[in-house]
Amino acid sequence: MSSKTIHQSAYKHVSGASVYVDDIPVHNQLLHGYVLYSPHAHAAIRSLKTEKAANMPGVAAVLSAKDIPGINQMGPIVHDEPCLAEDEVHFVGQAICLIAAETEERARQAAATIEIDFEELPAVLSLKQAMAVQSLMGPERKIERGQVQQALKEAPLRLNGSFESGAQEHWYLETQTALCLPGEDREYMVYSSTQHPSETQAVVSEVLGIPRHAVTVEIRRMGGAFGGKETQANHVAAWAALLSNATRRPVKLRLFRDDDQIMTGKRHPFYIRYEVGFDEQGRILALDVEQNANGGSATDLSFAILERAMFHADNAYYIPNMRVIGRVWKTNLPSNTAFRGFGGPQGIVAMENIIDRIARQLSLDPLEVRRINFYDMYKRDTTHYGQKIKQNHLPAMYKQLTASADYFERRKLVEAFNTQHEFVKRGLACTPVKFGISFTTAFLNQAGALVHVYQDGTVQVNHGGTEMGQGLHTKMRQIAAAELGVDQDRILITPTNTSKVPNTSATAASTGSDLNGMAVKNAVDKLKFRMAYQVTEYFNQMDEQNYTLSKHIMFKNNKVFDATNPDRTISFEKAAQICYFNQIPLSATGFYKTPDIYFDRETGQGTPFHYFAYGMAVSEVEIDLLTGQHTLLRTDILHDVGDSVNPDLDIGQIQGAFVQGAGWCTMEECKWDESGHLLTHSPDTYKIPGIHDIPRDFRVQLLQKAPNEGTIRQSKAVGEPPFMHGLSVWFAIKDAISSIDGHKREPELGFPATNEAIVMAAKQFLD
Amino acid sequence: MTQQISFILDGRVHQLGFEPGSPYTPITTVLQYLRSLPNHKGVKEGCAEGDCGACTVVLAEPSADGKLNYKAVNSCLLFLPKLHGKQLITVENLQDAQGTLHPVQQYVADSNGAQCGFCTPGIVMSLFGHYKTDLSAEREEIEDTLSGNLCRCTGYQPIFDAALKALDERKEDRFSQEEQDVAAQLKTISQSGVRIETTTHYYSFPASLQEAFTEMEAHPGALLLSGATDVALKVTKQHQQLPEIIDLSLVPELKKIETTGDMLRIGGGVSVNEVLEAAQKPFPALYKIAKRFGSKQIRHLATVGGNLAGASPIGDLTPVLMALKARVRVMRAKEQRTMALDDFITGYRQTALQEGELLTHIEIPFLSEQIKIGAYKISKRRDLDIATVSAAFRLEFGAGKQISEANLVYGGMAAMTKHARQAEDFLQGKEWNRTHAEAAARLIRDEFEPISDARSGADFRRIVAGNLLIRFWADDAGTK
Repeated sequence: MSSKTIHQSAYKHVSGASVYVDDIPVHNQLLHGYVLYSPHAHAAIRSLKTEKAANMPGVAAVLSAKDIPGINQMGPIVHDEPCLAEDEVHFVGQAICLIAAETEERARQAAATIEIDFEELPAVLSLKQAMAVQSLMGPERKIERGQVQQALKEAPLRLNGSFESGAQEHWYLETQTALCLPGEDREYMVYSSTQHPSETQAVVSEVLGIPRHAVTVEIRRMGGAFGGKETQANHVAAWAALLSNATRRPVKLRLFRDDDQIMTGKRHPFYIRYEVGFDEQGRILALDVEQNANGGSATDLSFAILERAMFHADNAYYIPNMRVIGRVWKTNLPSNTAFRGFGGPQGIVAMENIIDRIARQLSLDPLEVRRINFYDMYKRDTTHYGQKIKQNHLPAMYKQLTASADYFERRKLVEAFNTQHEFVKRGLACTPVKFGISFTTAFLNQAGALVHVYQDGTVQVNHGGTEMGQGLHTKMRQIAAAELGVDQDRILITPTNTSKVPNTSATAASTGSDLNGMAVKNAVDKLKFRMAYQVTEYFNQMDEQNYTLSKHIMFKNNKVFDATNPDRTISFEKAAQICYFNQIPLSATGFYKTPDIYFDRETGQGTPFHYFAYGMAVSEVEIDLLTGQHTLLRTDILHDVGDSVNPDLDIGQIQGAFVQGAGWCTMEECKWDESGHLLTHSPDTYKIPGIHDIPRDFRVQLLQKAPNEGTIRQSKAVGEPPFMHGLSVWFAIKDAISSIDGHKREPELGFPATNEAIVMAAKQFLD
Repeated sequence: MTQQISFILDGRVHQLGFEPGSPYTPITTVLQYLRSLPNHKGVKEGCAEGDCGACTVVLAEPSADGKLNYKAVNSCLLFLPKLHGKQLITVENLQDAQGTLHPVQQYVADSNGAQCGFCTPGIVMSLFGHYKTDLSAEREEIEDTLSGNLCRCTGYQPIFDAALKALDERKEDRFSQEEQDVAAQLKTISQSGVRIETTTHYYSFPASLQEAFTEMEAHPGALLLSGATDVALKVTKQHQQLPEIIDLSLVPELKKIETTGDMLRIGGGVSVNEVLEAAQKPFPALYKIAKRFGSKQIRHLATVGGNLAGASPIGDLTPVLMALKARVRVMRAKEQRTMALDDFITGYRQTALQEGELLTHIEIPFLSEQIKIGAYKISKRRDLDIATVSAAFRLEFGAGKQISEANLVYGGMAAMTKHARQAEDFLQGKEWNRTHAEAAARLIRDEFEPISDARSGADFRRIVAGNLLIRFWADDAGTK
């Protein structure tokens, strides 16, 4: 599918016509929702007085835990996350009371009158503190292959160490928002900026104590999500629904930016310890890794995230003897949650740092150590969890990218530059990614679609995936149009709605196009089968001299025709009308489940992924050792998206993911004070990359002629894998620092490599 | 005097009053106002503090030549009365009557510059603001234009590509055709002054310095503001009411930039963007720092007087203006005095301004050839970030190679902008070389006791403060 198709909302976006939840026209009975949250990281609630607030004019409802008609829970998997705090609060930002008022201002004023008597309790505020007091979220996990201890003992060379990566705030431009409208009886219509409408529906129905069929959740588009709206959009929707239920009026709840940053979870910080054994060439013989994730106060998706970190502890490298132990620790912070990469980046960055250290110890170019450890296509082709790697593109991509990026020549130029410069240094790094595609919880790999054909030849397509900017609807429209053989403007993708396609999975794990694309195709196939049969009958009745076979009916260029007899051609709408008059349904559901994936958590073995996506990036930076400022001079990315459904959208995902990954590695830093208050609670202090921070020279290529077997139009998922390319920036910065003394010593470079971290790391060499 | 404000939006003059029952007050922001209308939902709130640019709109105001000046601003930082006498242009206004997209819209869409679309209206408006100026389509200019617009989806490259194409092919657009009519209409509006009095708020625009002093006497408790980029946060972030405001942004005496024989005199109400234009030739260090001030949207509003009178220890302009030995002119109704900027800043957000006094001008003496000036700003992100540490240096040389006077001024190292006195004393009489720069750097690190906060640790501040002097030496000596 090569014809250029821009994002289907692009013209609406540039003219301000795109409708987000906060833009939906609402009538004058709308109330504004507001959340009063905990100012303490851990405290008992001794008393709670809301009377003053409730009696203020313009205040329609003030709710606390006791007012919840259903169950006071919104944990998506484990029910350990109260919707409103009861007698204890577990993090700064935990919701305690909900207020609905005529204006936001009045709701704030009412909140200020609520009196809560807290008794502060000791809080666990960091990963290391949680580990010290053994505050485990659940049992530890393990994946093991080979004889790790013995292989380590026998290895000619060994290194041990640790790696810490930090939290990352999603910073979707549109903060969490929901609008709830009461219907008759106890039906509710919820417009929610959610990646997971079915779960939002479930949580709303549970807190209201009503069946799911009474709750409809709809989302046309989100203003960015990145995983931050996979589970935590449920919270805002549940709160809006509670207020709507209490007042019988429409309620909108939109988190103010600072509140969003304070109340919601982030990317899990990880503390990883390891011991690695290797030979003189840098080939890894054994690796023992222990991953510790900061889960925050509740489970949320932490174990799935940990699992993905464990699956990606190898990144792109074959390690014959390997053990990964994973633990999630409970702290008094907002529950950390999904964020693009979902644990993958945390596992991968530690592995890449191990490679980097081995290279420095052996005085080799890290890329050489990477190369000799890549999975290959012969014997070294099975992961530590037992999945065989098919269609491994790493060796070919290495060849192509080192040539197109001129890696080896530039390596020499960088070294020459560094010998001539004292205060300014350059660094170069190439990092690969191998990323497993599928939900690792196998049953989630399912999707549904609903396709209607109308008599005028136009088509409505509904599917379970949500649009957050990635262009999923654009791709679904392309797929539906191509499969039906009609122009794209005949296809309308309607908002994602739980009453159209039920029991959907989150649009997450990069699987949106893979799963929903197949489901759409499945529905379209059913319709085409029915239509082809009717059209065959029609042709054969019209002229009995010739005989058309149903299997020869083609759908192309808005026409339906007999491929063996071009005289027998009708328009697509005529075909639809024929079906209608013959009383044939022109509506079909589609369904898809990913075949042949499973994982046994007991043995730590299986085939959890449908396939892998690959990529590789080369970045070159210049750093000022005096100021710590870095400039990203050039980045070259080669990425594998199979046979792309939409190359422009895929390149957009790659560019955006790279910059977001580079942000995590360089400037995005969450800091808390000693009592658990987030210091970086607004864009004033939490900095995401701006336009000046992108590579001065940014080259992205898609791997050509790499069709992926068994996926929609032989394409591959693209949302998360390119996030990992951002790591090349961190390693390039480290390379630049390491050049100060000719790459002999290991720089103690913090993560992210802020200007502070760079200056402090350079200081070890300069003092 | 009128109780109403008048401005042009959607091709017609809007008159807006603040009488009882109005949903708006004088501290309602333009963002809140637009989002309350049915047909301007394109303007988005991403942060309500001028840090993301999703709310960017363009204001057009008449210039001396009968044309219009177009400026992209953050509508979240703009109080409604500030629309008076201006044309407000939002993303919904760019298409022509036939629905044809403006070139900046067309290119952003066609270059895949929009993914989730939430930042897009702001990006489009920043680019439109650029489109309507003579600024070049060079990379640096485009980056400067978009320095106040965050996008979390695209990685900016396609937006940059779109900007390059659109700005490279600038031609007359529908706004060019309407320009004269709109300018003429606006001129009729802006001749009348505005004073809004409601039961809760007082907001006035004095039209002269004299009127300003009269207003200040009548409303001694009133908050003075001009660009209001800092003051607006009291409303959007702290939800304060600000019952009395005197808005100095229409006082012509405060808007002038004059060159006298030996100095540049800048009115306190001159925007940072105008300051940087005026500074480019005579004061490259000031130009460099002004370029790093906020974003282009903020620099269109923020004034030099506001930045200095705010007396923030991390105010961008204070260190460099101190190093330039700027003087501050302060007036009361009938008297005036001038003082060194050093004496004007007296403490953490404290100045020497007395009751009823107003900072009216900043005077910067031109530099002789015996003076070296350097200025630096350290921040986590290059654009639209507050300084972790800032520094400005002035070295004056006598007849020989020796430094006759050193001024080393730091922001972010103490509760107020402060000289590194020990290092200054050390350098006096010394030659300007690496040994002395490094020795002075050590003194600098020892003489401050900075804090650790969200931006950095104290150790980094101390180390980098010293490093900046070495950086100044290296830049001067050409050592790389």
